[in-house]
Amino acid sequence: MITRKALPRRTILRGLGTAIALPVLDAMTPALASSQLPGKTPIRMAFVYVPNGIDMRHWNPDYEGKLQELPRILKPLEPFKNDITLLGNLTHNNGRALLDGPGDHGRCCASYLTGVQPRKTMVDIKAGISCDQIVANKIGHLTRFASLEVGLEDARQAGDCDSGYSCAYTNNLAWRSETQPLPPILDPRALFERLFGSGPVLSPEARARQTRFRRSILDFVSGDTKKLQSDLGPTDRRKLDEYLSSIREIERQLEKAENDNAQIDPGMEKPYGVPADFAEHFRLMTDMITVAFQADLTRVVTFLVTREGTSRPYREIGIPDGHHPLTHHKNDPEMMEKVAQINCYHMEQFAKWIGKLKAIEEGDSNILNNSMIVYGAGLADGNRHTHEDLPTLIAGRGGNYIRPGRRIVYRKETPMSNLFLSMMDCMGVHVEHFGDASGRLDGLTLS
Amino acid sequence: MQSSERAKPPVGIIFDSDLGNSIDDVLALAMLYGLDGKGEARVVSISLTTSSLKTAAFCDAVANFYAGGPALRRGLPIGLAADGRISGESPMVTVPLAKTDANGKPVYAHSIHKLTDTAEVAPLIRNAFTAQHDQNAIVILAGPATNLAKVLDLPGAKEIIARKVRFLCMMGGAFPDGAPEFNVKSDITAARKVLAEWPTPIVASGYEVGEALLYPGASIEKDFNWTPNHPIADAYRAYKKMPYDAPTWDATAVLYAVRPDAGYFKLSEPGTITVLDDGRTRFTPSREGRHRYLILDPAQKERILSDYVALASAKPVPRVPRFLQQQQQQQQQRQADPPKPPASQPPGTTK
Repeated sequence: MITRKALPRRTILRGLGTAIALPVLDAMTPALASSQLPGKTPIRMAFVYVPNGIDMRHWNPDYEGKLQELPRILKPLEPFKNDITLLGNLTHNNGRALLDGPGDHGRCCASYLTGVQPRKTMVDIKAGISCDQIVANKIGHLTRFASLEVGLEDARQAGDCDSGYSCAYTNNLAWRSETQPLPPILDPRALFERLFGSGPVLSPEARARQTRFRRSILDFVSGDTKKLQSDLGPTDRRKLDEYLSSIREIERQLEKAENDNAQIDPGMEKPYGVPADFAEHFRLMTDMITVAFQADLTRVVTFLVTREGTSRPYREIGIPDGHHPLTHHKNDPEMMEKVAQINCYHMEQFAKWIGKLKAIEEGDSNILNNSMIVYGAGLADGNRHTHEDLPTLIAGRGGNYIRPGRRIVYRKETPMSNLFLSMMDCMGVHVEHFGDASGRLDGLTLS
Repeated sequence: MQSSERAKPPVGIIFDSDLGNSIDDVLALAMLYGLDGKGEARVVSISLTTSSLKTAAFCDAVANFYAGGPALRRGLPIGLAADGRISGESPMVTVPLAKTDANGKPVYAHSIHKLTDTAEVAPLIRNAFTAQHDQNAIVILAGPATNLAKVLDLPGAKEIIARKVRFLCMMGGAFPDGAPEFNVKSDITAARKVLAEWPTPIVASGYEVGEALLYPGASIEKDFNWTPNHPIADAYRAYKKMPYDAPTWDATAVLYAVRPDAGYFKLSEPGTITVLDDGRTRFTPSREGRHRYLILDPAQKERILSDYVALASAKPVPRVPRFLQQQQQQQQQRQADPPKPPASQPPGTTK
């Protein structure tokens, strides 16, 4: 029996130029826990893309079925072994040359979520609508943002980034239409303001002035917060406190990054709020994605960790060499080791995020369980530029859709697009054809 | 995007067969690699309607043999119809695979040990088409039409086939009105679908053509003895008690497909092939028909047999894949010039 009035799911804490959406609280579903209400718990999909392939010697286990000891690169996911699904032998045929000659980096990134062969050009770009945007178009009206596109590396959109392929191909994952990529947000402050603010994104100078007098956005909504807290039970109060604390922590990280950057080099080219440290930047962006998922601000995210073909060095872990040149290692053991270290470093950051998603309760489950986070690359062997057996894993269950804790190896040439068709099904978006899919992916789901 | 200035490479051959049932598939495969070695064709896809892993492993071993070893192997993996109605596992594939050297190691290396070492056939064939220049692929069907019918069901496949494929050469049927033939009878539904929906011309080599052209068994001991271990010769010996001459049903399709203008066979007038309920084929002449069938020309018999032998017993012509060529060059360069720390550079500059 419902004994009290439910708090609306879309309750928002409002203040001057601020709008903070809330996570799922018990008060929003007073009679039953939200997960017990069929179709009520939001399912999220996210794609985390790493560039230049992966050292597959340290990715593929030598077994199939139940996950046992994980290979070196996947080691950080050891605590989440029962939450991930490793997929083998998925292929992106449209990333291959197919008579278009060199340019595997351009092709593999552009075809990754679109499943089509991009046009080789620097001017009149053409790929296809990406699967995340197909989902965003169908269910985007349910959330404040149809989708979020996030990245960590400054990425120009024009010019030649790979053997005649436009930078638009290597520097974007999401494509709204076959000619319109969606550039990722790189600046954490810009993402923060998009999630919680309503004003325009400020220039670095204006932001610096404002920062001196900045107050937390939580101060602006304190009136609404106090009123809401008085209506909540102890469990919901704790949840709300934790949630608002996580937003405050993001603010602190942002302020720290901005202060650090101002001290290091006020004239630096990269966005003002971008932390100098890669891991910090990764954490800040994924913390905000987490809040966005928690508050159901969006259900669709693409995260281009760094642009495809990047030559970014990793001095944070003692690697001053560019990532891309290292991957063309010509079987030099020293270079191969550095590539593996970069792969491990990326995975460590990802695993920390997965841990956070798992730690956040949602009904009688958690956010990770109600998500499908794909981690992968558009190339397998970055040295030879192979497009088959692409490194692919899914973290989460997509609600009760995927049975994780396994390594599933498919038959060779199984299209990666088959996975995306299955994921779209899970999101409630049923599409007949996508990319070069030959059907749905067998064995992934519980049924 | 295709560059008009670039010369087209030799025609790409997509070979789909029920290898394992009769030795003519093995001979056909050997001839294909012989034609590949001569630069007349490129084997770009091998797939099977048989379901035994051993048949796929045998094809893999043969591909390695003609490539000059697994490391030099190029192209796509072997496709296998996991749900195929015909097993194909027979001594002609198991005996060569079991052959070992003095150290007990398999003589014919292959990398197929489980189903996931093989490819899904429909995407495999579709993907092979996409890598060919327009009108520069020929499909040879040397088994039931099961796999090709599945390819037709893939979204967009008919458009790709129409663009890429010159014609389909199928061993199947009996013309003009023979008894039910094995390949057609084994999957009548698929045969009907392919004959009705395949978007390019189809040339059929009926049962009667290959039946009249017997591969000379004596050639196995004479023409293949340049090496003590030849997978084709070992398969031939294992298939039946030697010596024997073998009908060359599938080999006829290979010979016509790669050398259609060589005058080996006469061609019927155009028309339409239909399949009756019992698996018999019927040919109805019509001007707009896209089907034809091969007619044996007795005057060409000796020439055909001679060319069979020459092609099937041709020595492998290994070609070093481009990535290996690059690696070898780079290694040589490294030896001559000690390595320096890599500088940052955009991806396009390394290729």
